[in-house]
Amino acid sequence: MSSPVIDIKDLSKNYGRDRGIEHVSLEVEEGDIFGFIGPNGAGKSTTIRILLNLIFPSGGTARIMGMDVVTESKKIKLQTGYVPSDANAYSSMTAGEFLNYCQGFYGTKNGSERIAALSELFEVDRKRKISDLSGGNRKKVAIVQSLLHNPRLLILDEPTMGLDPLMQARFYDLLHSENRKGMTIFFSSHMLSEVQMLCKRVAIIKEGRIIKVEDIETLRKRQLKKVRIEFDDQVDREIVRLPGIQPQPVISGKVFQCMYSGNFEELIAALRGKKITDMTIEEPSLEEIFMHYYN
Amino acid sequence: MNRNLFIRELRSNAFSLMMWMAVITILITVTMSVYGTFLENNSKVLGMMSIIPKGALLFKGISNINDLFSVLGFYSANNVIYMLVLGSIYAIVLSSNILLKEEYNRSAEYLLSWPLTRREVFLSKLAVVFLNIFILNMITAAAGFICLEINKREPFSINAFMILSLYTLLLNMFFGALGLFISTLVKRPKPITAFSIGLVLILYFIFALSKITESIAKIGYISPFKYVNLDTVNPAYKLEFFNLLYFAGLSVLLTGLSYLFYKRKDIYL
Repeated sequence: MSSPVIDIKDLSKNYGRDRGIEHVSLEVEEGDIFGFIGPNGAGKSTTIRILLNLIFPSGGTARIMGMDVVTESKKIKLQTGYVPSDANAYSSMTAGEFLNYCQGFYGTKNGSERIAALSELFEVDRKRKISDLSGGNRKKVAIVQSLLHNPRLLILDEPTMGLDPLMQARFYDLLHSENRKGMTIFFSSHMLSEVQMLCKRVAIIKEGRIIKVEDIETLRKRQLKKVRIEFDDQVDREIVRLPGIQPQPVISGKVFQCMYSGNFEELIAALRGKKITDMTIEEPSLEEIFMHYYN
Repeated sequence: MNRNLFIRELRSNAFSLMMWMAVITILITVTMSVYGTFLENNSKVLGMMSIIPKGALLFKGISNINDLFSVLGFYSANNVIYMLVLGSIYAIVLSSNILLKEEYNRSAEYLLSWPLTRREVFLSKLAVVFLNIFILNMITAAAGFICLEINKREPFSINAFMILSLYTLLLNMFFGALGLFISTLVKRPKPITAFSIGLVLILYFIFALSKITESIAKIGYISPFKYVNLDTVNPAYKLEFFNLLYFAGLSVLLTGLSYLFYKRKDIYL
């Protein structure tokens, strides 16, 4: 098997009093679309900044395409594109000047044609100053610059923040099509719908630690179901003790609601003879699965 | 060094360089145009000068009032403020922001995601700092030379003029290196322009005070202005080897340390 495109081992970053990341390990395989989700301040940007060598790790290692992110950063960047979460820099330049400037670092052939094609695809007005563009349009410029050199790996920090739904869809299409051509994609997000739409695999980060790395399908098929039971009178207390009921079920009046990962025969058996007025068992949203892990 | 980054930096700093060159050149030209009137009113000037404390003249490099009546003495006395102080402020403002602006403008996130080593970033920016300081010095010295030629009544020592210009360049380069050094120590991505200007002014006033007040004369040695010899009218005026070593050594040391710090610096945005 080929080595992972991103290989992070036991990576830590201490910020003194502020929390950074602790012992983060994860692997992103070639051709993956890998989502990195967690709330703000969980350590997503810290991890990405170490990958880009903006900051130095306090411990552990990170390799991209087998190269060390600290000592071989330039070589890595020849094959990596990056979309920052905040695309407000270089505001005094026009979009066209900015893209030409960026292109100058790669020196790729047919650079101006590539700029023109991508700008057209994303409807980037190259004559306008970046400071005059809306947040969404700035983001589009950032996306175009990340793709100029046909990178093998694309890293995105909160990529669709500020994009309108139509542009988001176009962006997803483009990512899928680049991915089919072999581009590996690693992105951070706090929007689960985005992760759901794009990813094959996902890592959940909480307070600087990875708490789960999973295939998105496995995550969904973990037999985790959302169960809601409305009793006729009051919630039967025995049901709470049933194995498979996940911690922190919600009981309000006659309604019992929980995440359930146990055997359904046991659940049905436990409910036999109880007076129930309504019951639903449904697929939880990714958000609910995430909150389940996060809690 | 990276050509793309170097050219971009040159371009983005060109306007400010032109403005500073224009301001200093105008100040020199205006001041030197007063020289003729100054000579013609010789006796009145001497009367006026007698009420100015000797120290106030001393810190301008004038050990003898009569030095002011030589065109080069007049030039160097006024050169202190314009080329030494303003030039140093230009140098430190440019250099203390050139790396740091990538952080507070949040462009470092782009810049360091492109295929560049920190070494290339540092060297490209360093080259821009020193080249801009060099251009500023060349143009303002040329303006000064033309003013001297136009306003002179007697010949002046071109050699002394060259040495004074070299001292000015060395001092400005030193402040260029100091600005870079300070910016690599800054943790928070904020401009340090006010601090940098303040630093130049404080060092200048330490030097000025040490000249005026004999009891604190020794404190003057902590100011780099102390190592610029302004006594151009003195026939023994020359480039002191120690002073040359002081400026060159400190500039190289500060630049080297800045490079080492920048190479390992965590860039926060």
